[in-house]
Amino acid sequence: MSSRRSRSRRSSNSSRITEEQIVELVSKLQDLLPEARSRSSERVSASRVLQDTCNYIRDLQQEVDDLSERLADMLATTDMTSAQAAIIRSLLM
Amino acid sequence: MASVPSSSSSSSPSQPKTRKKPGQNSSPPPPPQTKWQTGTQERLYSRRLVDALRATRDRTQVQESVGSRAVKEAADSALALTARGQSRWSRAILFGRNSCRRKLLVKAGGKIRRHRRKQHGAPPVAAAAAEPGVLKEQKVKERLRKLGRLVPGCRKLPAATLLEEAADYVAALELQVRTMRALAEALSAATVSAPEEEETEAVDPIAIAEQGS
Repeated sequence: MSSRRSRSRRSSNSSRITEEQIVELVSKLQDLLPEARSRSSERVSASRVLQDTCNYIRDLQQEVDDLSERLADMLATTDMTSAQAAIIRSLLM
Repeated sequence: MASVPSSSSSSSPSQPKTRKKPGQNSSPPPPPQTKWQTGTQERLYSRRLVDALRATRDRTQVQESVGSRAVKEAADSALALTARGQSRWSRAILFGRNSCRRKLLVKAGGKIRRHRRKQHGAPPVAAAAAEPGVLKEQKVKERLRKLGRLVPGCRKLPAATLLEEAADYVAALELQVRTMRALAEALSAATVSAPEEEETEAVDPIAIAEQGS
Protein backbone atom coordinates (compact mmCIF):
# COMPACT_ATOMS: atom_id res chain seq x y z
CA MET A 1 0.00 0.00 0.00
CA SER A 2 2.98 2.30 0.00
CA SER A 3 2.35 2.76 -3.70
CA ARG A 4 -0.02 5.54 -2.78
CA ARG A 5 2.86 7.51 -1.45
CA SER A 6 4.79 7.06 -4.63
CA ARG A 7 1.96 8.59 -6.63
CA SER A 8 2.24 11.90 -4.79
CA ARG A 9 4.79 14.37 -6.03
CA ARG A 10 7.99 13.72 -4.21
CA SER A 11 9.74 16.88 -5.13
CA SER A 12 11.52 18.23 -2.07
CA ASN A 13 9.90 16.58 0.92
CA SER A 14 9.44 12.88 0.43
CA SER A 15 5.92 11.61 1.12
CA ARG A 16 4.55 15.10 1.54
CA ILE A 17 0.83 15.15 1.13
CA THR A 18 0.03 17.92 -1.30
CA GLU A 19 -2.93 20.16 -0.89
CA GLU A 20 -4.38 19.33 -4.24
CA GLN A 21 -4.14 15.63 -3.49
CA ILE A 22 -6.35 16.16 -0.49
CA VAL A 23 -8.68 18.38 -2.44
CA GLU A 24 -8.95 15.77 -5.15
CA LEU A 25 -9.68 13.02 -2.65
CA VAL A 26 -12.31 15.15 -0.96
CA SER A 27 -14.03 15.92 -4.23
CA LYS A 28 -13.93 12.26 -5.17
CA LEU A 29 -15.63 11.50 -1.89
CA GLN A 30 -18.13 14.25 -2.52
CA ASP A 31 -19.07 12.72 -5.85
CA LEU A 32 -19.92 9.47 -4.14
CA LEU A 33 -22.37 11.06 -1.77
CA PRO A 34 -26.04 11.15 -2.68
CA GLU A 35 -26.08 14.92 -2.32
CA ALA A 36 -23.78 15.16 -5.29
CA ARG A 37 -26.59 14.28 -7.65
CA SER A 38 -28.63 17.27 -6.68
CA ARG A 39 -25.78 19.63 -6.07
CA SER A 40 -23.99 19.46 -9.41
CA SER A 41 -20.47 20.19 -8.87
CA GLU A 42 -19.96 23.29 -6.88
CA ARG A 43 -17.17 22.92 -4.44
CA VAL A 44 -18.30 22.36 -0.92
CA SER A 45 -16.09 22.86 2.09
CA ALA A 46 -14.06 19.87 3.18
CA SER A 47 -15.60 19.78 6.62
CA ARG A 48 -19.04 19.67 5.10
CA VAL A 49 -18.09 16.79 2.86
CA LEU A 50 -16.62 14.89 5.78
CA GLN A 51 -19.71 15.51 7.82
CA ASP A 52 -21.95 14.29 5.02
CA THR A 53 -19.75 11.27 4.57
CA CYS A 54 -19.95 10.34 8.23
CA ASN A 55 -23.71 10.68 8.16
CA TYR A 56 -23.99 8.70 4.97
CA ILE A 57 -21.81 5.88 6.27
CA ARG A 58 -23.85 5.78 9.44
CA ASP A 59 -27.07 5.64 7.44
CA LEU A 60 -25.75 2.87 5.24
CA GLN A 61 -24.63 0.84 8.22
CA GLN A 62 -28.03 1.31 9.79
CA GLU A 63 -29.67 0.10 6.60
CA VAL A 64 -27.44 -2.94 6.61
CA ASP A 65 -28.53 -3.67 10.16
CA ASP A 66 -32.18 -3.37 9.26
CA LEU A 67 -31.80 -5.49 6.18
CA SER A 68 -29.93 -8.17 8.06
CA GLU A 69 -32.69 -8.26 10.61
CA ARG A 70 -35.18 -8.71 7.82
CA LEU A 71 -33.10 -11.42 6.21
CA ALA A 72 -32.61 -13.17 9.53
CA ASP A 73 -36.34 -13.29 10.07
CA MET A 74 -36.87 -14.64 6.62
CA LEU A 75 -34.19 -17.24 6.98
CA ALA A 76 -35.70 -18.35 10.25
CA THR A 77 -39.04 -19.13 8.72
CA THR A 78 -38.05 -22.06 6.63
CA ASP A 79 -41.05 -21.96 4.41
CA MET A 80 -38.82 -21.91 1.42
CA THR A 81 -40.50 -23.03 -1.71
CA SER A 82 -39.16 -23.77 -5.09
CA ALA A 83 -40.48 -20.41 -6.27
CA GLN A 84 -38.07 -18.69 -3.97
CA ALA A 85 -35.30 -20.89 -5.21
CA ALA A 86 -36.07 -19.86 -8.78
CA ILE A 87 -35.99 -16.20 -7.82
CA ILE A 88 -32.69 -16.52 -6.06
CA ARG A 89 -31.30 -18.35 -9.02
CA SER A 90 -32.36 -15.56 -11.32
CA LEU A 91 -30.74 -13.05 -9.00
CA LEU A 92 -27.44 -14.82 -9.20
CA MET A 93 -27.37 -15.18 -12.96
CA MET B 1 -20.00 -23.54 -7.22
CA ALA B 2 -16.64 -24.24 -8.75
CA SER B 3 -16.90 -21.26 -11.05
CA VAL B 4 -16.50 -18.72 -8.30
CA PRO B 5 -12.71 -18.69 -8.02
CA SER B 6 -12.20 -18.50 -11.76
CA SER B 7 -14.58 -15.63 -12.19
CA SER B 8 -13.13 -13.68 -9.33
CA SER B 9 -9.67 -13.80 -10.79
CA SER B 10 -10.80 -12.20 -14.01
CA SER B 11 -12.39 -9.18 -12.45
CA SER B 12 -10.34 -5.98 -12.26
CA PRO B 13 -7.03 -7.51 -13.19
CA SER B 14 -5.17 -4.23 -13.08
CA GLN B 15 -5.93 -3.48 -9.48
CA PRO B 16 -3.69 -5.89 -7.58
CA LYS B 17 -0.66 -5.35 -9.82
CA THR B 18 -0.65 -1.61 -9.53
CA ARG B 19 -1.09 -1.53 -5.82
CA LYS B 20 1.67 -3.95 -5.04
CA LYS B 21 4.38 -2.56 -7.28
CA PRO B 22 5.24 0.98 -6.37
CA GLY B 23 7.48 1.49 -9.39
CA GLN B 24 4.58 1.27 -11.77
CA ASN B 25 3.16 4.77 -11.90
CA SER B 26 2.97 5.29 -15.63
CA SER B 27 -0.79 5.61 -15.81
CA PRO B 28 -2.96 6.02 -12.73
CA PRO B 29 -5.22 3.03 -12.14
CA PRO B 30 -8.97 3.54 -12.50
CA PRO B 31 -10.54 4.96 -9.36
CA PRO B 32 -11.12 2.08 -7.00
CA GLN B 33 -14.68 3.06 -6.29
CA THR B 34 -15.97 2.29 -9.75
CA LYS B 35 -14.99 -1.32 -9.33
CA TRP B 36 -17.84 -1.61 -6.89
CA GLN B 37 -20.30 -0.49 -9.48
CA THR B 38 -19.55 -3.06 -12.13
CA GLY B 39 -21.91 -5.94 -12.56
CA THR B 40 -19.10 -8.37 -11.84
CA GLN B 41 -18.75 -7.24 -8.28
CA GLU B 42 -22.48 -7.45 -7.76
CA ARG B 43 -22.67 -10.98 -8.99
CA LEU B 44 -19.61 -11.95 -7.00
CA TYR B 45 -20.94 -10.41 -3.87
CA SER B 46 -24.46 -11.81 -4.20
CA ARG B 47 -23.07 -15.26 -4.65
CA ARG B 48 -20.75 -14.89 -1.68
CA LEU B 49 -23.56 -13.48 0.39
CA VAL B 50 -25.84 -16.38 -0.36
CA ASP B 51 -23.09 -18.82 0.50
CA ALA B 52 -22.35 -17.05 3.73
CA LEU B 53 -26.01 -16.96 4.68
CA ARG B 54 -26.40 -20.62 3.97
CA ALA B 55 -23.37 -21.39 6.11
CA THR B 56 -24.75 -19.23 8.89
CA ARG B 57 -28.07 -20.96 8.77
CA ASP B 58 -26.48 -24.39 8.78
CA ARG B 59 -24.31 -23.45 11.72
CA THR B 60 -27.28 -22.27 13.78
CA GLN B 61 -28.69 -24.81 16.17
CA VAL B 62 -32.13 -26.16 15.46
CA GLN B 63 -33.70 -24.47 18.48
CA GLU B 64 -32.18 -21.05 17.94
CA SER B 65 -33.14 -18.75 15.16
CA VAL B 66 -30.67 -17.06 12.89
CA GLY B 67 -29.68 -13.88 14.68
CA SER B 68 -29.58 -10.62 12.81
CA ARG B 69 -26.10 -9.96 14.05
CA ALA B 70 -24.92 -13.23 12.53
CA VAL B 71 -26.45 -12.21 9.23
CA LYS B 72 -24.80 -8.81 9.36
CA GLU B 73 -21.43 -10.31 10.19
CA ALA B 74 -21.77 -12.81 7.38
CA ALA B 75 -22.69 -10.01 4.99
CA ASP B 76 -19.75 -7.88 6.13
CA SER B 77 -17.33 -10.75 5.84
CA ALA B 78 -18.63 -11.54 2.37
CA LEU B 79 -18.19 -7.91 1.44
CA ALA B 80 -14.66 -7.81 2.77
CA LEU B 81 -13.87 -10.99 0.87
CA THR B 82 -15.16 -9.47 -2.33
CA ALA B 83 -12.77 -6.60 -1.78
CA ARG B 84 -10.03 -9.21 -1.95
CA GLY B 85 -8.16 -7.68 0.90
CA GLN B 86 -7.00 -4.70 -1.10
CA SER B 87 -8.28 -2.11 1.30
CA ARG B 88 -7.51 -1.65 4.93
CA TRP B 89 -11.08 -1.83 6.08
CA SER B 90 -11.60 -5.17 4.39
CA ARG B 91 -8.50 -6.59 6.00
CA ALA B 92 -9.58 -5.23 9.35
CA ILE B 93 -12.94 -6.96 9.04
CA LEU B 94 -11.45 -10.27 7.97
CA PHE B 95 -8.68 -10.30 10.52
CA GLY B 96 -11.00 -9.19 13.25
CA ARG B 97 -13.40 -12.05 12.69
CA ASN B 98 -10.85 -14.77 12.59
CA SER B 99 -10.08 -16.38 15.91
CA CYS B 100 -6.43 -16.95 15.09
CA ARG B 101 -5.90 -13.27 14.51
CA ARG B 102 -2.27 -13.33 15.56
CA LYS B 103 -1.30 -15.98 13.08
CA LEU B 104 -2.98 -14.22 10.20
CA LEU B 105 -1.49 -10.89 11.09
CA VAL B 106 1.99 -12.32 11.17
CA LYS B 107 1.65 -14.41 8.05
CA ALA B 108 -0.34 -12.47 5.55
CA GLY B 109 -0.31 -9.23 7.48
CA GLY B 110 3.40 -9.20 8.00
CA LYS B 111 3.70 -7.32 4.77
CA ILE B 112 1.12 -4.87 5.93
CA ARG B 113 2.92 -4.24 9.17
CA ARG B 114 6.12 -3.55 7.34
CA HIS B 115 4.46 -1.05 5.08
CA ARG B 116 2.93 0.72 8.01
CA ARG B 117 6.27 1.07 9.69
CA LYS B 118 7.71 2.50 6.54
CA GLN B 119 4.98 5.09 6.33
CA HIS B 120 5.23 6.07 9.93
CA GLY B 121 8.98 6.15 9.78
CA ALA B 122 9.21 8.87 7.17
CA PRO B 123 6.49 11.42 7.77
CA PRO B 124 6.05 11.97 11.52
CA VAL B 125 8.42 14.90 11.69
CA ALA B 126 7.69 16.35 8.28
CA ALA B 127 3.93 15.87 8.38
CA ALA B 128 3.31 18.47 11.03
CA ALA B 129 4.76 21.22 8.92
CA ALA B 130 3.76 19.90 5.51
CA GLU B 131 0.04 19.47 6.07
CA PRO B 132 -2.08 21.33 3.57
CA GLY B 133 -3.98 24.28 4.88
CA VAL B 134 -7.41 22.77 4.90
CA LEU B 135 -6.34 19.98 7.21
CA LYS B 136 -5.21 22.30 9.95
CA GLU B 137 -8.70 23.48 10.78
CA GLN B 138 -10.06 22.08 13.97
CA LYS B 139 -13.43 21.19 12.49
CA VAL B 140 -11.84 19.20 9.71
CA LYS B 141 -9.62 17.38 12.16
CA GLU B 142 -12.57 16.41 14.32
CA ARG B 143 -14.55 15.17 11.38
CA LEU B 144 -11.60 13.18 10.12
CA ARG B 145 -11.37 11.54 13.51
CA LYS B 146 -15.04 10.71 13.42
CA LEU B 147 -14.62 9.22 9.99
CA GLY B 148 -11.71 7.15 11.21
CA ARG B 149 -13.89 5.67 13.89
CA LEU B 150 -16.62 4.72 11.44
CA VAL B 151 -14.49 2.93 8.89
CA PRO B 152 -13.21 -0.31 10.37
CA GLY B 153 -9.50 -0.47 10.96
CA CYS B 154 -8.78 3.11 10.05
CA ARG B 155 -8.35 4.93 13.30
CA LYS B 156 -4.77 5.99 13.03
CA LEU B 157 -4.39 6.61 9.36
CA PRO B 158 -3.08 9.78 7.79
CA ALA B 159 -5.69 11.93 6.13
CA ALA B 160 -5.11 11.00 2.52
CA THR B 161 -5.23 7.28 3.21
CA LEU B 162 -8.31 7.67 5.35
CA LEU B 163 -10.09 9.56 2.61
CA GLU B 164 -9.32 6.88 0.08
CA GLU B 165 -10.43 4.12 2.42
CA ALA B 166 -13.61 5.99 3.18
CA ALA B 167 -14.46 6.39 -0.48
CA ASP B 168 -13.91 2.71 -1.11
CA TYR B 169 -15.89 1.79 1.97
CA VAL B 170 -18.84 3.97 0.94
CA ALA B 171 -18.97 2.37 -2.49
CA ALA B 172 -18.77 -1.10 -0.97
CA LEU B 173 -21.50 -0.34 1.54
CA GLU B 174 -23.75 0.85 -1.26
CA LEU B 175 -23.19 -2.42 -3.03
CA GLN B 176 -23.96 -4.31 0.14
CA VAL B 177 -27.21 -2.44 0.68
CA ARG B 178 -28.27 -2.89 -2.94
CA THR B 179 -27.61 -6.61 -2.89
CA MET B 180 -29.19 -7.29 0.47
CA ARG B 181 -32.23 -5.28 -0.43
CA ALA B 182 -32.65 -7.14 -3.71
CA LEU B 183 -32.32 -10.45 -1.90
CA ALA B 184 -34.82 -9.43 0.74
CA GLU B 185 -37.27 -8.20 -1.84
CA ALA B 186 -37.00 -11.38 -3.83
CA LEU B 187 -37.48 -13.54 -0.78
CA SER B 188 -40.43 -11.59 0.51
CA ALA B 189 -42.07 -11.50 -2.90
CA ALA B 190 -41.76 -15.24 -3.17
CA THR B 191 -43.11 -15.72 0.30
CA VAL B 192 -46.13 -13.58 -0.44
CA SER B 193 -46.90 -15.26 -3.71
CA ALA B 194 -46.74 -18.80 -2.40
CA PRO B 195 -48.22 -18.91 1.08
CA GLU B 196 -50.07 -22.20 0.81
CA GLU B 197 -47.13 -24.48 0.39
CA GLU B 198 -46.29 -24.68 4.03
CA GLU B 199 -46.81 -28.37 4.41
CA THR B 200 -44.15 -29.33 1.91
CA GLU B 201 -40.76 -30.08 3.35
CA ALA B 202 -38.41 -27.16 3.53
CA VAL B 203 -36.69 -26.88 0.21
CA ASP B 204 -33.29 -25.32 0.51
CA PRO B 205 -33.30 -22.64 -2.19
CA ILE B 206 -29.61 -22.03 -1.95
CA ALA B 207 -28.74 -25.63 -2.59
CA ILE B 208 -31.04 -25.68 -5.58
CA ALA B 209 -29.58 -22.45 -6.85
CA GLU B 210 -26.10 -23.83 -6.61
CA GLN B 211 -27.05 -27.01 -8.37
CA GLY B 212 -28.74 -25.12 -11.11
CA SER B 213 -25.89 -22.71 -11.72
